[in-house]
Amino acid sequence: MSKPMPRITAVNRPYWEGCNADKLMLQRCTAADCGQYIFYPRVCCPHCGDGDPVWEQVSGRGQVLSYTLVQRPHHESFYAEAPFVFAAVTLEEGPLIYGRIEIDAAEAEGLNGRPVAIVFRDDQLPGQKLPFFRLTA
Amino acid sequence: MTDHPFDGVRIVGVGQTLYEKRSQKPIHRILWEAADLALKSAGLKWRQADGLALTSFVLPPDNVATVAEHFGLEARFLFQGLYGGASGIIGMMHAARAIRDGDAEVVICLAGDAFDVAAHNEMLDRFNGSVRDYLSPYGFGGANGMFALHTRLYMERNGATREDFGRLCVAQRENALRNPNALFKEPLTMDAYLNAREIADPLRLYDCVMPCFGGDCIILASEKVARTLKGPQLRILGGGEYHNFPANDVYSLSAGWEGFSDRMYSRAGIGPKDLHFAQLYDDYPVMEYIQLEGMQISPKGKTHEWLRKTDVTWKGEMPINTGGGQLSAGQAGASGGMIGVVEGVLQLRGEGGERQVKCQRGVVSGYGMVAYGRGLSASAAILERID
Repeated sequence: MSKPMPRITAVNRPYWEGCNADKLMLQRCTAADCGQYIFYPRVCCPHCGDGDPVWEQVSGRGQVLSYTLVQRPHHESFYAEAPFVFAAVTLEEGPLIYGRIEIDAAEAEGLNGRPVAIVFRDDQLPGQKLPFFRLTA
Repeated sequence: MTDHPFDGVRIVGVGQTLYEKRSQKPIHRILWEAADLALKSAGLKWRQADGLALTSFVLPPDNVATVAEHFGLEARFLFQGLYGGASGIIGMMHAARAIRDGDAEVVICLAGDAFDVAAHNEMLDRFNGSVRDYLSPYGFGGANGMFALHTRLYMERNGATREDFGRLCVAQRENALRNPNALFKEPLTMDAYLNAREIADPLRLYDCVMPCFGGDCIILASEKVARTLKGPQLRILGGGEYHNFPANDVYSLSAGWEGFSDRMYSRAGIGPKDLHFAQLYDDYPVMEYIQLEGMQISPKGKTHEWLRKTDVTWKGEMPINTGGGQLSAGQAGASGGMIGVVEGVLQLRGEGGERQVKCQRGVVSGYGMVAYGRGLSASAAILERID
């Protein structure tokens, strides 16, 4: 059974193409009084409403905000990999991004607040690398 | 005269189909049965209805207009809920405004769905663009995975334990045992709750709802029509909706209720202490915590402590989800946004059977449209019996 694929569109193509080049690309608002980073990709800045965000490569570093050990995935294509850790990560640049953490289920304790760095895996989806996270330090 | 926002509008009927794990019934039949029961309870005939507010996930390619045609309704007012489990109450309030302003006389407020677990998961994978593109490719665990993150955060920030969430689940099961329509027929002990199958840590089986088939309906009528009817009558004292609140902040452990409850109470002319029950949207116990706090029924960040000393069963001092809620009666898709309204209306009409609460007024609330990490839409309303 194949895994659910993202739909790549004019709005998010730089993000997904960046993943394939091992780069985390985020949008950033260009309004003088805003300048915030944006994720998920949008046609405008959700912080101030400005319409000219630009793409920038960012650090790929962040901190675990919260996580779960998924024992029972909602989609059959993930059954063989369960249990695995799914987490919300706050990137250094501000935005919230979701991903899995490469860690054994037995070590999935007290992860909130731990520093992580992004890695791009090519073994998940056909032709599309998918960002994962690794614990650092 | 007071200046309640929904003056001149009455709730005059209520109906609910049996909740079933599986059914061969087409969705249109489930919806018709719930509406037919509600019209009969009001003493109204189908041809007296001139409005329909409808929410159902499995309905497309049909919609509220084609369902009106299917039922043979000539409708002056239609509403289709696009806010998941917040839609039932939002539709009811839109219908109440239409009646108040003279656009319609009798509106059927209806929700229903036909879901098994597989169909529910399939829908959720593509629920909206952000879920499809930035959550589903990770096998995020569906809504269970999403709300596991909120539950863990509430526990870590406030010192709540799994047992504290279990208190709600165990109490609601006790309520469900007195509701003949509920799917779960066996008592739930705290031990069974704590040791149930792991789903998405810290959530286990009884933190999660059971997708099922069913429909829920209430009937709104103008005061003029209501005067011709014999049954008990209720009014809507106040209500509210709030979406994407707070914006750009997924993990505030808050949602729209905190943004509108002051206004809801002030327009209703009562406070949280004057409520006799709360019928909450219980997709997960942590969301009930957030509703209780947002509507000022329990103290912010301390709902776990409040629950340790408050009986929330049907016979307690603050009854919650007196029919068992979605956690113990079942989640019939979009009906999850109406099951609490139906239970509240039954209670206020004195039709609560073995679980009847002594009550004059109570609050009902809804929540829905899970998107990037949380549900976006919150709604609530205060209902009161007119003696």
